[in-house]
Amino acid sequence: MKVKRVVGRIFVYLFLIIAFVVSVFPFYWMITGMTNTAVDVIKGKMTFGSHLIDNFKVLFTTYNIKRIFFNSIKISVLTTVGTLIISSMAAYGFEVYSSKAREKTYAAIMLSMMVPFAALMIPLFKLIVKFHLINTHAGLILTSLASVFIIFFFRQSFKSFPKDIIQAARVDGAGEFKIFTSIVMPSMKSTYAAAAIYAFMTSWNSYLWPLIVLQTDKQKTMTLLISSMSSAYFPEYGVIMAAIVLATLPMIIIFFTLQNYFVQGMTGSIKQ
Amino acid sequence: MKKRMLSILLVMVLAVSLLAGCGKKETSSNQEQQQQPQAPAEKTGKITIWAWDPNFNIAIMNEAKERYQKENPKVEFEIVEMAKADVEQKLHTMLQSGVKDGLPDIVLIEDYNAQKYLQSYPGAFADLTGKIDHSKFANYKVSLMTLDGKVYGVPFDSGVSGFFYRTDYLAQAGYKPEDLNNITWDKFIEIGKKVKAKTGKAMLGFGLDDGGLMRIMLQSAGQWYFDKDGNVTVANNEALKEAVATYKKIVDAGIIKKTSGWNEWVAAFNKGDTASVVTGVWIVGSVKAEASQSGKWAVAPTPKLNVSGSVNASNLGGSSWYVLENGKSKDIAIDFLNKIYAGDNDFYQKILVDRGAVGTYMPAQGGEAYSKEDAFFGNQKVYTDFSGWIGNIPAVNYGLYTYEADAAIMAVMPDVYSGKLTVDAALKKAEDQLKNQIGK
Amino acid sequence: MAEITPNSLKKNTKFFKRNKSFERSLNIYGWIFVSIAVILLAIFLFYPIVNSLILSTMSSKGIVQKFVGLNNYKKLFHDEVFLTGLKNTFIFFIIQVPIMLLLALILAAILNDKTIKFRGVFRTGIFLPAVTSLVAYTILFKMMFSLDGFINKGLLSMHIIKNPIPWLMDPFWARVTVMIAMTWRWTGYNMVFYLSGLQNVPDELYEAADIDGASKMQQFFHITIPMLKPIIVFTSVMSTIGTLQLFDEPMNFSQGGVTGATIGPGNSLLTMSVYIYNLCFKYMPNFGYAAAVSYVIVFLVAILSIIQFKVAGDKK
Repeated sequence: MKVKRVVGRIFVYLFLIIAFVVSVFPFYWMITGMTNTAVDVIKGKMTFGSHLIDNFKVLFTTYNIKRIFFNSIKISVLTTVGTLIISSMAAYGFEVYSSKAREKTYAAIMLSMMVPFAALMIPLFKLIVKFHLINTHAGLILTSLASVFIIFFFRQSFKSFPKDIIQAARVDGAGEFKIFTSIVMPSMKSTYAAAAIYAFMTSWNSYLWPLIVLQTDKQKTMTLLISSMSSAYFPEYGVIMAAIVLATLPMIIIFFTLQNYFVQGMTGSIKQ
Repeated sequence: MKKRMLSILLVMVLAVSLLAGCGKKETSSNQEQQQQPQAPAEKTGKITIWAWDPNFNIAIMNEAKERYQKENPKVEFEIVEMAKADVEQKLHTMLQSGVKDGLPDIVLIEDYNAQKYLQSYPGAFADLTGKIDHSKFANYKVSLMTLDGKVYGVPFDSGVSGFFYRTDYLAQAGYKPEDLNNITWDKFIEIGKKVKAKTGKAMLGFGLDDGGLMRIMLQSAGQWYFDKDGNVTVANNEALKEAVATYKKIVDAGIIKKTSGWNEWVAAFNKGDTASVVTGVWIVGSVKAEASQSGKWAVAPTPKLNVSGSVNASNLGGSSWYVLENGKSKDIAIDFLNKIYAGDNDFYQKILVDRGAVGTYMPAQGGEAYSKEDAFFGNQKVYTDFSGWIGNIPAVNYGLYTYEADAAIMAVMPDVYSGKLTVDAALKKAEDQLKNQIGK
Repeated sequence: MAEITPNSLKKNTKFFKRNKSFERSLNIYGWIFVSIAVILLAIFLFYPIVNSLILSTMSSKGIVQKFVGLNNYKKLFHDEVFLTGLKNTFIFFIIQVPIMLLLALILAAILNDKTIKFRGVFRTGIFLPAVTSLVAYTILFKMMFSLDGFINKGLLSMHIIKNPIPWLMDPFWARVTVMIAMTWRWTGYNMVFYLSGLQNVPDELYEAADIDGASKMQQFFHITIPMLKPIIVFTSVMSTIGTLQLFDEPMNFSQGGVTGATIGPGNSLLTMSVYIYNLCFKYMPNFGYAAAVSYVIVFLVAILSIIQFKVAGDKK
């Protein structure tokens, strides 16, 4: 029995290590890439080179990186905070207070998630122009505040939330919003953490819509910058890799910080 | 409790309207700038330009801007850099939605797409006939931006093609530069076999689903997937048949290194795995990027097809500048293009030296930079050669559906390579599919 | 576990049922909670959808449009390129999605085990592909899977294969490559949903199972999977949508700079979404027809999602 356990453990770790190496390898390559010249990157060099400083110099002198980076941060943070509040509230409304009319609304929302964005772009663009939101970050944030995907995720997660607790709180005389803000929200931290990661990631990486809405270099985001850098007769891959690593850092930091919530589990109020 | 929720709601509404407010402010301040009273003599305004490629088009535009601003210091420029596909997506979306807000004044369009834009969005582009002296530009460039007798763009870089080769590998195989002048593709394959046998190197990096070389072959014969009136000519096109057959011969001869995608293709010659590249002049930057190969390269004229009318000159890619009819600074934009791109000889010398850009403004080609020897190419006067070939490129009508046709033909190529379909059968299949797709 | 089933909720609501005005006020609360999201979605999602549905009855060359009724939809059935796209999309969907989700579930179950060391490092590492830039990921994968690339060299030296595999040059292998790449990119992404879901599963369940002598395997099938059902439904619906709208990988793995023609060898990677893109931006712009293709996707995803809800026995 014990031997079997140990062997099992070894396999589990082996599996994890393989998954880890396979997952991290491209990242390692990106980091070596930003220390090399474009030709070396194309030729597949996988070791560190000596062009790190040159690449960053080009990146910082050719582009207004600070501004672009800040734009991305601003858009993503505002979108994430807004989305979490609005979408979790909506999911809670749909899940806890079920009614026929709301179920139908929910079904319509779910169905609309399935429409490819390309089909909606032109009507949406006309709308944004009508609202005078073209070339503004507000045009990006407003359109992504209510995320069907996040609503769906929250609702599926709320399904496993013990409804008795809500009833008990009502019996104790707690108001509906109080129940949501001080009982449900704090005990679903892992769900909020995951949703925050995804909302941030989606916003940070979003590309097609910002491309259409934003018009000037001043308003540009990191994703747009990287895309424009790589379309060239002769792409500067070393510099591109430097930009990519820079653009990936915030997401890694956010993930690394928020992932702690995946270990904590539900808080005491629920486990009792 | 309700109050608290209400206040949260209020804050959010406020935040939202604030955000919206920010937006409004920015657009209105933009408008204010535009509406400043114009001084009669001096030009003021802001020209917005969309283009791709930071080291090429964008850098060149910046050079043009500086030159123009010397004479017109009050004209501002907003040069927006995007990926090529992004420029296309954005332009399509905006033109399609019919809004005038946020349109650029000048946009770069790839030549293959020119007619598609002109015909899909009538009235969207400014007619430049008479405003720009188009007679100074290469004929084949002007013809592809002409619709109903009106000329809509300002020709820019040339995609004039050349046969770039490694002199050291070819010498090892027993070929001298003069053996490579004005050859046919059949001869090219023969040379390739010998190179492969003698050096072990492949003659070409070759993407099996890449239609670029086929377009070079077609245009060298003055043919395209469509005739002058835009009718599909795929199945009964002698040049195309020969081109497809040549593709198969090249693959069968075992002289290629198969590549997939741009990077791998570039890496093939950067790494020294292949002895030659046949493509547009814009590849020079990528070839030269591998400095250790300096002196080992040379350029010969493009091989021609074994059909009548085929010449040793062709084209791949290239793009031109277009002015939007509804842009805010249309007139200044035209003046700018006219002064620099259609008048500044020295500008073309500078961008050739700095960026390797071969313009299609013919007066510039007698300039000093064009007749310089290039050490990387064994002191060959490469640009003199290229500008000579530009004059020989047959003009063809790219029509509206070049990319559709390209995809239809490359989709049947696997069956041609494997021998499952004969060239005729494959082209018939491609033609049927193409006609169905474009509704003809 | 019994106290968190929907039944117990029903029993409890009976207690409130008698009170009609309370019911009504709950209903109002329900609308308040969903209101902001519903208003935003109505403006920025429903309105454009109605618009594009109308557009799908038009045939256009740029802004030159004409009304064609349902002809766009009829044309689809004879459009060989579209049918190729449909076929390819389903091949990706049927093979790749189950493999990826199972892998994600296994990884999540392992990483949820508190006795495993370095869980934070593993978690972050395995999630990394999801945040890797598409540009970098494409360049690298194309390089690794080239004929003389890293993967072929490795397999050759280990004598697993005799000849290099033509990864991106043969229709079959091109699809395999894209599936490998998709699995690489999205497994960690799905794993995080499962991990977050697992935190809502009380530890006591596993502790009790341990005491009862249930093996890890049994725990996986009898606790993890049932408790995660809502999240599994969520990920499979999302993956269905993602795969039926698959765009990034086929587009980028086949692009050849200025010279790209087909999407993968013999159009083997052409998906419906790539076709939509081409119809809008690469070919003669026909947004009406592109919209029609979009609604075929909507229809298919809707059917598949309903099946997934039904199979999982999820209410509604």
